Amino acid sequence: MVTCSRRRITMTEIIAEILRATIIAGIILAGILAILIWIKDQTKKISYLRVFIQIAAVPVIFLGLIIGPFGLPQFPPVGNAPRDAVVGTNIFGAPFPDGLSVPVLACYYPSGRTVTCPIWQIQGYIFPFWNTGLGFGWGVFYTTTGLERLAIVFGLVIGMSIVLGRFFCGWVCPFGLYMDLIIRLRKTFKKRYWKLSERVNIGLRQLRYVIIAAFLILSFVFGTQAIIGLQLVPGTERGEYVYSYFSAPFCQICPVKPLSVLVESALGLMDFTFVFSNTKGLLYEAGYYVTSLNVAVLVLVTIGAFAFRRFWCRICPLGGLISIFNRFPPFKWVSGVRLNKIEEKCTKCGICKRVCPPQVTEVYEEKGGDVTSPGCILCFRCVEMCPYENCLEIRVAGKPIYKSRSWLKGLK
Amino acid sequence: MATKFEGKVKAIPEMPPKEIEEMRNTMEFVSRKVIAENIERMKITWPNRPKTMQYFDEISNFFGQRVEEIRAQKEAGKKIIGYSCMFAPIELILAADAIPVRIDSGWYDTAKLGDTIVPVEVCPVIRSNIGTQMVNLSPYLELSDAIIIPLTCDGRTKLSEILRDDKTVWTMCPPRIKDSLQSRKLWVEEVKAVKEKIEDLTGTEITGKTLRSAIEITQRASKAFRRLQEIRKGNPVIMGRDSMLVNQTSTWDDIKRWTQKTEELCDELENRIEQKNWACSPDTPRVMVTGTPMIWPDNWKIPNLIEESSPHGVIVVDELCSGDRLLYDPVGVDEWTMSDMMDALAERYILASTCPCFTSEHGNEDRINWLLDRVTEYRVDGVIYYVIRGCILYAMEYARIKRLLDSMDVPVYYLDTEYTREDVGQMKTRVEAFLEMLETRVALREVK
Repeated sequence: MVTCSRRRITMTEIIAEILRATIIAGIILAGILAILIWIKDQTKKISYLRVFIQIAAVPVIFLGLIIGPFGLPQFPPVGNAPRDAVVGTNIFGAPFPDGLSVPVLACYYPSGRTVTCPIWQIQGYIFPFWNTGLGFGWGVFYTTTGLERLAIVFGLVIGMSIVLGRFFCGWVCPFGLYMDLIIRLRKTFKKRYWKLSERVNIGLRQLRYVIIAAFLILSFVFGTQAIIGLQLVPGTERGEYVYSYFSAPFCQICPVKPLSVLVESALGLMDFTFVFSNTKGLLYEAGYYVTSLNVAVLVLVTIGAFAFRRFWCRICPLGGLISIFNRFPPFKWVSGVRLNKIEEKCTKCGICKRVCPPQVTEVYEEKGGDVTSPGCILCFRCVEMCPYENCLEIRVAGKPIYKSRSWLKGLK
Repeated sequence: MATKFEGKVKAIPEMPPKEIEEMRNTMEFVSRKVIAENIERMKITWPNRPKTMQYFDEISNFFGQRVEEIRAQKEAGKKIIGYSCMFAPIELILAADAIPVRIDSGWYDTAKLGDTIVPVEVCPVIRSNIGTQMVNLSPYLELSDAIIIPLTCDGRTKLSEILRDDKTVWTMCPPRIKDSLQSRKLWVEEVKAVKEKIEDLTGTEITGKTLRSAIEITQRASKAFRRLQEIRKGNPVIMGRDSMLVNQTSTWDDIKRWTQKTEELCDELENRIEQKNWACSPDTPRVMVTGTPMIWPDNWKIPNLIEESSPHGVIVVDELCSGDRLLYDPVGVDEWTMSDMMDALAERYILASTCPCFTSEHGNEDRINWLLDRVTEYRVDGVIYYVIRGCILYAMEYARIKRLLDSMDVPVYYLDTEYTREDVGQMKTRVEAFLEMLETRVALREVK
């Protein structure tokens, strides 16, 4: 008994989809070109380009701009997102697991997603994946098994991390955009950021892996009923977890969920009453979609982002997952985008260290060669601000694509 | 019974004003002659100098147009702030609407005078500065309302005491370890302290806006400065002495006008590159000078010798704090807030510097890296390591740099001298021998 509707997609709809995708891609390309041509100030060019790409990524991620009916409130908000029907059934022949796993904090909870945060997917699939199939939770919509879905998620995340790595953090992640906008807001008040001490910064970096381990273990513990038939935590029996926080423990403290859900609700893209229904228990006090813990963390992170640049990126577990490809062999050997420094050109003027949003110090401290570090979000700000020709460079697959230039040349 | 002297004991003994006046007049006369002669010699070496160089010739005169300008501006109420080392943040001076002038002294005669106060072992730049103060030879030093002296070496530390007898002197203490957390803190505080002093003296508050525009002025100057250096990378289209003079005038000229004139000069030089109108034959040995500062006007001895001897070389690049290091590094500001600008300013002066007064965990590898990079970028045939006696810092770094350059097969020659005209003949023989060797190497390379 498959409840989700697999309606056939007409030719006109497919052409319309392609047309829309082309137009959006055209607009984005035109914007990129305009920035590259018209912005003369070399110290701002890449920053503007980055913000533009971040903004362009938001509708693509959340509104289903490319795949699915644009702006249509989808109700019920889960279960029959258009990409399942279009991409999954009609193109690949099988429903697609909850959106494409791209390593950005593109929250699962709001509707219209074409891209989904892999952190949710990993938790969600570990929890019930032993027993998927008809009538079992999400499995009802899937023809793939939980293991297969996990394999797809990890495959996509690993593949994309190899190609672009934490480039996603700096250039695509919508929560990164939120923090960058806060930085811009702070700048209008002419207030300066604070700095975390190096020890705290490195401590937070390591905390990311504790968070990853914690949510994986919690997912397993909550899912024991489904996995080994032994219920360890009350309220985790079959069918119950669907609307409970147990299915994705990290998501119930994540600051992105309330932000994206509230923004979409405010824009009328989600059913506001649905979001705030199902209020029960301490953690649900603000409703299932937005728990009080979520809101508390969001408030903390927002305040933190006012004080410290890119505050969340320093503890983001997803960033931690990708930054394995930044630093640790053998992953770093295969990773595509690298930050490189040529020792002889460097006078250690300290600009790279000072302008770095997540306060990475390796780019300054390390002598030369590959200086991509686990904290680096590949935002290219250091390359943009380095005043020495060819000293810092971004290499893609070993080939330099963007080198530091004497940005003085752009001065009027 | 010995009684304590009432009042302050000055290092420089009182001299009859008439005697001072006489000495000053003689030295000024000599200095005027030396300046004219140096320019004349530059013209002889390079007969078709660009027209714009005329401007720099005028500005380089310590007793000419620029001094009158500064004097007029001082009478109009502007403050003049001298500084004796490139660590002094001139952006702060500009932001307070004061005029920065560098007061390091290059006069040989006053160095002799300084010998009467301090022993000859002391660095000649310091001795010359003391002598200049004794007879008021330097109009810039005389006009300065205050002098910033960064205590980079022992000489400057004690010089600040001697100058303080007669002048307002603000000292800044640069840390000896360049990039540790605590030294950064110290230096940022020093810069802040100097900012307050400048504000007190000028009565102008340095706001975010004025500081930003001052930083932008020096950034533009850096742009022109770098452009000139970039031009020197190719075949010699400008003689080394001329560009060294251009570089050095930036330390006392009006920085905006200097920028404009340097851009004009670069335009002219770029035209000449198109016409292949070289300043000297493209296979002239390309020489790099590194070491202690060479200060206009008297201490132009070595550049004169290098570019006039036969065979002669051309100085394509230098690593001197009186030359190519002056404005090379820009202040890189991330967010234009006051505190970030101050940090950027402080870091530009200390972290980007390759002065040998610093050390770090890795030694002074910044300077070594920079030298090696210059050697390859400018296709340098030979390096002249210039040390004036008394500069221990530069002298002690020679050993390592020689070994490094040897390993790169770049000849390096250690030239130690004094603030004196007496050794010109001897220096000439040594420079010529080195240049002959370089010429043979260049010729051999072309045969290959």
